[in-house]
Amino acid sequence: MKQIVSILLVAAIGILIFSALYFSDETLKFNEYGNVNLDDRVSEKYIDKSVNGNTEEIIFGETQNAESGSANMVTSVVVNYRSFDTLGEVTVLFVSALGVGLLLNGKRKRKNLKDAPNFILKQGARIIFGIMVVFGVYMFIHGHITPGGGFPGGAIIAASILLLYLSDDEFRVKLSAAKAVESTAGSLYVIVGLLGIVLAGYFLQNFLPTGTVGEVISSGVIPIVYMLIGLKVGSELSSVIDGFLTEEVEG
Amino acid sequence: MIIAGNILMVIGGVFLLLGGFGVLRMPDVFNRIQAGTKATTLGAFSLILGVGFVHPQWLLKLILIIVFIAITNPVGSSVLARAAYKKGAYQYKKEGEERSEVK
Repeated sequence: MKQIVSILLVAAIGILIFSALYFSDETLKFNEYGNVNLDDRVSEKYIDKSVNGNTEEIIFGETQNAESGSANMVTSVVVNYRSFDTLGEVTVLFVSALGVGLLLNGKRKRKNLKDAPNFILKQGARIIFGIMVVFGVYMFIHGHITPGGGFPGGAIIAASILLLYLSDDEFRVKLSAAKAVESTAGSLYVIVGLLGIVLAGYFLQNFLPTGTVGEVISSGVIPIVYMLIGLKVGSELSSVIDGFLTEEVEG
Repeated sequence: MIIAGNILMVIGGVFLLLGGFGVLRMPDVFNRIQAGTKATTLGAFSLILGVGFVHPQWLLKLILIIVFIAITNPVGSSVLARAAYKKGAYQYKKEGEERSEVK
């Protein structure tokens, strides 16, 4: 079953890429080797843009259909203009989490904490845990408006998981669920990129309407991508924490 | 309203300053934790509330911050003090006093 699904998935992605590159309409079509007009390329465009491009003022909450649509400059660079680079960063994190998982694999159980956590820490951690998760989610949903984004949001979620680990002797993350979230989010990020090829012509191109600057639902695929990154980073770091705070069962 | 806010802010600043002195001047780690937490909790409360009086449109968010400090600050100091006690940190005491037991 698994093999059939993965073969179908690979075939679908292959057809998607192939049709996007060779059968879409003229404007989106991939140029043949040697016939590319370099003036259309990113570097040329942005060098010119700062000199004589669009210089009208952007007003928070009013301007519509701005280029990236994100009020946060860093986000618009990280997830729009240089999204491919971010895909690489996510991959680096994935590989390091994979390394930890490979070294610390097998049937595992919780390490006993030296001192059992007392009542105050247990109850306090329970209250703070909810606030921290909500704040982490807020961090990556609002990544295109306020400072923050997927990476810090995911790290905050993982920190809340760490708090539960330190305050409870029995607590363990469901590793299968963490892995499922991680792999789903990672593949969805790539699929968003491939949809960019199909709908707009370039890998990870922003293909949704960018809306009004400063609203939560705006700036196209940026919030979607940041949500995926946040979930991915959070679940990855949680499984790393689980690897470090457990020990192998002998026999 | 603005005057009340300013007075609260000054009170908060004074308490934060006293908390800083306490951290410097107290003899052992437990007394320092006490100075650093109790004084700064009250100081941060009145400072943030004062800001809320001066800018009433921020009041709700500032109250949320106060609630967060009210939860985290005591829990954190309790955990630190317990860890220091279990580790056998130096305790300042006068002649003839006994160590108290902590669970």
